[in-house]
Amino acid sequence: MNNSPKVKRALEIFPGAVSWSIVLSLILLAIFKPVLCGVIIIIFDFYWIIRTAYLTTLLVMAHRKLLQQKNKDWIESCEALGPQKDWRDIYHLVIFPVYKEGLDILRPSLDALKKSDYPKEKMIVVVSFEDRHKPSKEAAKILEREFGRGFYGYLTTFHPDGLPGEKRLKGANATWAAKQAKALLEDKRIAYDRVIVSCFDADTCVDKGYFGCLTYHFLTCPKPHQASYQPVPVYNNNIWHAPSFARLVEVSASFCQMIESMRTEKFVTFSSHSMSFKTLVDIDYWPVDMISDDSVVYWKAYIYYKGDYQVLPLYTTVSMDMAYGSNLFKTMAVQYKQKRRWAWGIENFPFVVSRFMNNPDIPLFKKVRRSFHLLESHISWAVWAIITAVIAPLPILLGGVLFGQMPIGYNLPKITGLLLNFTLGTSLVWIILSWTILPTRPKGVSWFMYVIMILEWAIVPFVIIILGSTPALDAQTRLMFARYMEFFPTEKSRGVV
Amino acid sequence: MSREQKIRAVLFYLSVCIFFAGLPFILTFTLGYQFDPKTFKFTTTGLISLKTQPAGASVYLNGKLLSEKTPCSLNELLPGKYRVELGLEDYYPYSADVEVLADRVSRMEKVILFPLRPDTQQLNKERFSQFWIDDPRGVIFYVNRENNSVYRSDISGEHLELIAEFSPIIPAPKKWLISFDREKMLYFNSHQIGVIALSSDEKHLSEDKPAILNYPGDAIQDVFWYSDNYHLIVVTDKKIDVTEAKVSATAVTIFTLNKRNSSAFYDPRSDSLYFSDSQKAADGNFYDNLYRLELRKKLYPFQEFMGLKPNE
Repeated sequence: MNNSPKVKRALEIFPGAVSWSIVLSLILLAIFKPVLCGVIIIIFDFYWIIRTAYLTTLLVMAHRKLLQQKNKDWIESCEALGPQKDWRDIYHLVIFPVYKEGLDILRPSLDALKKSDYPKEKMIVVVSFEDRHKPSKEAAKILEREFGRGFYGYLTTFHPDGLPGEKRLKGANATWAAKQAKALLEDKRIAYDRVIVSCFDADTCVDKGYFGCLTYHFLTCPKPHQASYQPVPVYNNNIWHAPSFARLVEVSASFCQMIESMRTEKFVTFSSHSMSFKTLVDIDYWPVDMISDDSVVYWKAYIYYKGDYQVLPLYTTVSMDMAYGSNLFKTMAVQYKQKRRWAWGIENFPFVVSRFMNNPDIPLFKKVRRSFHLLESHISWAVWAIITAVIAPLPILLGGVLFGQMPIGYNLPKITGLLLNFTLGTSLVWIILSWTILPTRPKGVSWFMYVIMILEWAIVPFVIIILGSTPALDAQTRLMFARYMEFFPTEKSRGVV
Repeated sequence: MSREQKIRAVLFYLSVCIFFAGLPFILTFTLGYQFDPKTFKFTTTGLISLKTQPAGASVYLNGKLLSEKTPCSLNELLPGKYRVELGLEDYYPYSADVEVLADRVSRMEKVILFPLRPDTQQLNKERFSQFWIDDPRGVIFYVNRENNSVYRSDISGEHLELIAEFSPIIPAPKKWLISFDREKMLYFNSHQIGVIALSSDEKHLSEDKPAILNYPGDAIQDVFWYSDNYHLIVVTDKKIDVTEAKVSATAVTIFTLNKRNSSAFYDPRSDSLYFSDSQKAADGNFYDNLYRLELRKKLYPFQEFMGLKPNE
């Protein structure tokens, strides 16, 4: 009953309805009850100041861990675990689902695997192209020629178009690739529980210590099959060539992910990540009909293990490409679409809650807590920038002369200004931290870029207004009206703008 | 629980405590409430917002020096009358009584503090009887009636130069007026109008030396430069004339006045002359009325008669 179409639709409508209710009721209050609206905004501003301070502290802590573990010799750490936990028993299966990405994107990703300090004879690489994209046949041959012999196994597959139950999504391709790899593992008689699978975006370049770090955490985790392993995604591949707008957004995205890594009870897999292959098979792979496959796979495992499943943060980086277009407006459009796709993760809410309803084995407290976290994070995302940038001035503008003569009318802009100043203060911390994760400046790029990288933070308020809340509200509204999103592969380029 | 998670938990609960502990203070402050520990009740207060030009003035409230400097707000004031004094070194002090009402902001946001020793300097280098400031061009014109001369300097009084001499009229002129293009100047008494060319381009006026237009029968009330800077509008006690600004000109009467002391105003942007006059009403009595004469239209006929183009 709980999986009935009506319940599913209700759960799809709920997040958007809550977000719109918050926004519209605040606008109505600003017109008809400006004092009450002002009080709510002041409470929200104060909450946001404390939240920003708290989250920035978490970011500093996560950043410190990242720096501490950056050059750690993980293989040595694995060796130190002794013969009971022999790291040499572990195989790494690396899957690259590819759609239209060309050699300029794929070659560096495979090259990074080759340069990693983990033994290549323990690595199986699957590059899974979409069969419908014909030019990829040639690219597949070239890559096989260049990288085919460098690993224990190298598999090129072509995901057939239109398999039953599938949509044209990355998750469908990854699932196809994992099933092909499963056959290979069976052929080579490698037990699934000794295999860690990493599903990487085509542009993902791993840090050289990534697999050592992953193996160490897998071996030291009390329940290694009941965990996903999440590295810190950074967008360093083309950071020196990307326009300021894209750079700010992506650096902020990396930092948000670092903050999340400190909140382990809420942590959900995002983008490129790793997990036990045994678990992947047990939960029937990635979803083949949902866009946010990276997080849904976590929820599938969470439900499969009755809530006893976690995401372990790995303080090592995987570097990806920033998304940008050939001019500012195209960059804004590309970024907007990418953020909207990320915000489409709200589709997890009906997925998770409907399954929670049917699962009596997960403790009620956990179910309520996780559902609330999921909903709260998406609703905060959809409304916070609108409240601070659009609704906060409304009581003053629409509240009339009387409101302006009241202490709250006088103090409201001051408190809102304080929030803005405080946010700018925390931006300073973000600027300093963003410098420390920069890759080495490539030849041909002027040192003046360092100055630009500081000055560009001045456009943060502008970026917040455009990309702060609107993509999330857009995604929730689409889900609300059952206008389901199609997968939109982010346009990525290594060209110089 | 790892060390980081313990620190995080402490930070989280600390943040929650700060939020809930700080919120009542912030709300009572912003809403203008003050907690009275004697009565254990919240009292509605008001506030005074202070802004001065220049900023940084010390604030005295009922004679007591506060730590705030302007711009600032004096919050949580119980309703009543307050004496606010503002002091800034080298500026005149300012003081005012302010009524503070509950749940209201009393604004003193347009206070200008004037300097004790204003920064004044003498600009003229010669004696003068009258001056005009031409701000857009950064020029000062001076008239010295003792030696019948017109001078010009820049706006700081420098680069003084004699630009014209004029013929005196008796009795002394009651008004001086520079043309809109700053090329000519007129002056007049009741029966004579003098015109001075201020630039060499206009020296043709001097062909008619002395450039004095006589109005022997009329008493001149007012004279205006027409917008073409060439004609004059002359309002006398009997009529309104338009004439060229030269001696040999023939005046054209465009309106005959009934009232002897009409007042007039000329708007060069619309070429309209506003004037008062008495006219006979339907009841047979005379009443003072205000009229507008659109000169641009009315002038065409005699401009053609005089061989002039409109607004020449």
